[in-house]
Amino acid sequence: MLEIAPMKLSAADLALPAEALVADGVQLALADDYARFSLRARDAAILEGLLGRKLPAKIGETLDGVACLGPDEWLALLPAGTALPLGEGLPVSVTDISSRALGFVVEGPRAVELITSGCPLDVAKFPIGRGTRTVFETVEIVVWRTAEARFHIEVWRSFAPWLWHALAAAA
Amino acid sequence: MLLIHCPYCEEDRPEVEFANGGQAHIARPADPSAYSDPQWEEFLYIRRNPRGRHHERWRHVHGCGRFFNAVRDTVSDRFETTYKAGEPAR
Amino acid sequence: MSGYRLSVGGRINRAAPLSFTFDGKAYQGLEGDSLASALLASGVMLFGRSFKYHRPRGILGMGSEEPNALMTVERGPARMTPNLRAPSVALHAGLAAKSQNRFPTLRRDLTAVNDTLSAFFPAGFYNKTFMWPRAAWESVYEPIIRRLAGLGDSPTTRDPDHYGATYAHCDVLVVGAGPAGIAAAVEAAATGGRVILIDEQEEPGGGALADPAQWADLAASLAALNAADNVQILSRTTAIGHYHQNFVVAVERLTDHLAPTDAKGAREKLWRIRAGRVVLAQGAIERPLVFDGNDIPGVMLASAARTAALRYGVAVGRSVIVMAVHDSGWRDALALMAAGVTVSTIIDLRQDVAAELVDAARGAGIAVHLGCAVTSARGRLGISSITYAPGGTVDERAIACDALLMAGGWTPTVHLWSHAKGTLRWDGAWGAYLPDTTHEVMTCVGGCGGAWDYGSGLALGTLPSAKPLHKRKGFVDFQNDVKARDIGLAVQEGFRSIEHIKRYTTNGMATDQGKTSNLNGLQIASDVLSRPVTEIGLTTFRPPYTPQTFGALLGHHKEALFQPLRKTAIDDWARDHGAVYENVAQWRRARYFPRGAEDMDAAVLRECLAVRDSVGMFDASTLGKIEVVGPDAAEFLNRLYTNPWKSLAPGRCRYGLLLREEGFIMDDGVAGRMAPDRFHVTTTTGGAARVLNMMEDYLQTEWSDLDVWLTSATEQWAVIAVQGPKARDVIAGLVSGIDLSREAFPHMAVREGHICGVPTRLFRVSFTGELGFEVNVPAQHGRMVWEAIHAAGQPYDITPYGTEAMHVLRAEKGFIIIGQDTDGTITPEDAGMAWAIGQKKPDFVGKRSLARPDLVAQGRKQLVGLLTEDGTHVLEEGAQIVADPDQPVPMTMIGHVTSAYLSPALGRSIALALVADGRARMGETLYVPMPGGVIRAVVTGPVFYDAEGSRLDA
Ligand SMILES: [Zn+2]
Repeated sequence: MLEIAPMKLSAADLALPAEALVADGVQLALADDYARFSLRARDAAILEGLLGRKLPAKIGETLDGVACLGPDEWLALLPAGTALPLGEGLPVSVTDISSRALGFVVEGPRAVELITSGCPLDVAKFPIGRGTRTVFETVEIVVWRTAEARFHIEVWRSFAPWLWHALAAAA
Repeated sequence: MLLIHCPYCEEDRPEVEFANGGQAHIARPADPSAYSDPQWEEFLYIRRNPRGRHHERWRHVHGCGRFFNAVRDTVSDRFETTYKAGEPAR
Repeated sequence: MSGYRLSVGGRINRAAPLSFTFDGKAYQGLEGDSLASALLASGVMLFGRSFKYHRPRGILGMGSEEPNALMTVERGPARMTPNLRAPSVALHAGLAAKSQNRFPTLRRDLTAVNDTLSAFFPAGFYNKTFMWPRAAWESVYEPIIRRLAGLGDSPTTRDPDHYGATYAHCDVLVVGAGPAGIAAAVEAAATGGRVILIDEQEEPGGGALADPAQWADLAASLAALNAADNVQILSRTTAIGHYHQNFVVAVERLTDHLAPTDAKGAREKLWRIRAGRVVLAQGAIERPLVFDGNDIPGVMLASAARTAALRYGVAVGRSVIVMAVHDSGWRDALALMAAGVTVSTIIDLRQDVAAELVDAARGAGIAVHLGCAVTSARGRLGISSITYAPGGTVDERAIACDALLMAGGWTPTVHLWSHAKGTLRWDGAWGAYLPDTTHEVMTCVGGCGGAWDYGSGLALGTLPSAKPLHKRKGFVDFQNDVKARDIGLAVQEGFRSIEHIKRYTTNGMATDQGKTSNLNGLQIASDVLSRPVTEIGLTTFRPPYTPQTFGALLGHHKEALFQPLRKTAIDDWARDHGAVYENVAQWRRARYFPRGAEDMDAAVLRECLAVRDSVGMFDASTLGKIEVVGPDAAEFLNRLYTNPWKSLAPGRCRYGLLLREEGFIMDDGVAGRMAPDRFHVTTTTGGAARVLNMMEDYLQTEWSDLDVWLTSATEQWAVIAVQGPKARDVIAGLVSGIDLSREAFPHMAVREGHICGVPTRLFRVSFTGELGFEVNVPAQHGRMVWEAIHAAGQPYDITPYGTEAMHVLRAEKGFIIIGQDTDGTITPEDAGMAWAIGQKKPDFVGKRSLARPDLVAQGRKQLVGLLTEDGTHVLEEGAQIVADPDQPVPMTMIGHVTSAYLSPALGRSIALALVADGRARMGETLYVPMPGGVIRAVVTGPVFYDAEGSRLDA
């Protein structure tokens, strides 16, 4: 029988570090806390009326912290503590998912290269302000280009350690 | 890896964002209890396996989340067209 | 000339000698050498032993087509890579290479007896011979075959390297940096789009590297490409697969060309490239000729000798003969002469060869024999002479030599074209298949597209010989040791399609996928069958183009990153408190919390009793959660689940059972109505994504009229189950804004308020049969609230428990686990859960199926309890159940055990089982035959503890 030594580092050992990761040409950091909401409606106008704010009209577009992810779906990343009306009785869904995901900020001249290491989209061609759901390898993420050399990545909490270390390995 | 045109996102996206949902245009009857056993069996289990043009469902699960329909050639794997759920078969 | 190194020429750096070893012996090469060229320069002809007959083998080609010279390269104990092709291994200082398939040494291989007996090892030998007796296969035949056959050895320790991966996007991808590929890249770069040029060799240039006349142009073009910021050149990068819509996968080798001490970073990188247009410029591979002795070391492709001389400055021999059926052999002979390699003779099967070639050869002092063919090569560990004769006659003459070059024509490299389903057409002039039509945006340029002037020639199966085919010993597939006569035998035995001939003879099935053998094999089959080659068919080209490491294919997903391991917000606490884990779906869950030297049984016993006697706490965060919101939320759940939902009042919960449309149980969970238009639905841990997808499916495609939306909330909430008679007492001091009294907060109710100052959705539910709460708090507060509950529970000796105790507690109550007590063929009726079906509901998913004849038939397996006669005996989950233990084998199995535990509450073992007509067998004794003997068990109801449910409302 062949005995294979145990791994020095196993998946169970992966954790989010306290410090940002600074690599050549790119920096990876945890984003600030946000109030996160999933906003759903067939008719955006009803949501806009309820929330008193404009929503981005087209999938992939973002506006004032809100990304349009699907034809009836928006993701709002608002300052921590923000409360929204739930719109009870209206044909809408407003659901607080503040704790569901963590945000990463990928910044620097090699930010595109780092995200492209595992994301199949042509991230280099994203205009500033584009936000979309996609994957990094097998893990679902939302990629949001917030500046020429800065991206915000949303990932579900339990997948965050894996994503962090996968990005760190690629950086 | 295929590139699939999502009719909701209106762009070509990589296959890894999608999940195949089997044959398209099999509507659940409004009143299943009116179906005979053979009719219900047909609805549940009987599927086409064409060589060539095939209507199938896909979901842009890691994108906009929407189910949509596609016509794909099972020989070449090429998509002829994709269209939104609810639109008539092409 | 020192050794076989020419005094001038080549692209090696003569000022930079490199020491290396081959089979433990020290050699010197030069910077710029490959392992193959360095060994050739040192006079080494013998590179390895063949796969089946262990015949001595040398170099055949000087590129990735090489079938013979497979090497194991060691870079330290854990870094051993077998089956590397010597011409593709860049030399570096300290390189340590070993030959393969030799026992005990390369020069003296005892198992070469296979070769002496080769008449007894024909095609299909393994299939025919080792059939009987069956038992001998494992004990005798397989171990022997495994020692004799096989290619190299696997490393025996963990791979210490890491590997990179990336996606890439470009407008034009050019595969192959020979002259045609470089020209295509230059042209594409001028349009301003993104261009990627990839090439598998150490440096770009392809065939031009063996043609000094092109070096100046090559350097100029590469300088221009390197200077362009829209062009990326990837050397040492092999395009291994070409998939739909111009998706090309390539592997870049980053460190293997460096001495181990210089190797930093990832060893290899997987490139997943999406291109607007793919230009294939993979060139063509020269074809060997088939004649007796064509595998003796020193017999090689003419192009290999040319590359050795002009790229590496190495003579493959001091007296070289060329056997040509193609003009290119003459050109190579002349180039070799010009480089200082002595070519004594050119033999060409053709009578008519262009006069300028014949004149030039004779002018260079080369003897020329037209209309003749080599009939045999001779020599044991290296060629020493050949015989030749006018085509097909016995009029043989011998010539001494130390190298024989074969110029058998060219096979365009259409692998990647074919991967992407490009069609091929037979081209008579090339004697090969060329690219024809494609759906993709791709073109072939240069040699692989048939646009390459190498002159003309013949395409042959074998060189003519006076011997009948079955007596000839020429090899077609060098790596798999397939001879021309094996193909003849396959045809004789009735195989007609090339796909069958390939599998019977294994021609083209080695790691080189027949790069040098496929076309010769086709021609031979065509000759034997007397049918045109186009009627024989062509085998399928499949990725990868060359063998790759598993590491490269894994990319990011190695070891700790193999796949995400999901951990809850409370996981760290569990780790700090000694939890033993189990993996459930992608989650890691605490299985039990041993104290001191407790084993699992002892820990589970203690944890279960704590819940029954006082209070326990359990991390249930992995439960799937879906927020169902909208005016039609209740209608939606009503259509989906078996239970009625519309009547459920806000603040109340209900156990929901979800069927597939086929009527079988798919998932279950408790849902709470938070508001008239808002439900908090839970699913099983493993079913969360599946259930959400099913819900979206029905919502989007069947009931798109409903105003309801679904949001995954699994990770929003950490869930702490507090269970046991003292549960209320534990949380009472922590909760605010919720009246916890029995009257105000009954079983199956849900309230919103605060716990430890953070918002909570507090469910009064129980999966244990005890008074219980499930505390949902935003995940970021999960650890804090858990610790607060743990502290508040100290007066009651609150006991954290794991999934194992949870399973035991629920089994005592007869609660099913989806996927353990059900298997995708179980209806609610089978599971004894008809009570969960809303009888007045006209429809729900799966309802119609429940009336199908086979779902209401007699004899279906039903969930029952089993009590072994010996209460200390715990049945094995999965064990089969029979009604009569004395029946002959194979017995009629009437069911199987789905769950079995030692029940702390009952002080004996319990089990759940699915048994045919089980509910009609109450009190009956059934039998579980096990290796140690038959176990007797009595059928009971599935609820073992507190059947009245009196403990719920403590
Ligand atoms: Zn989409």
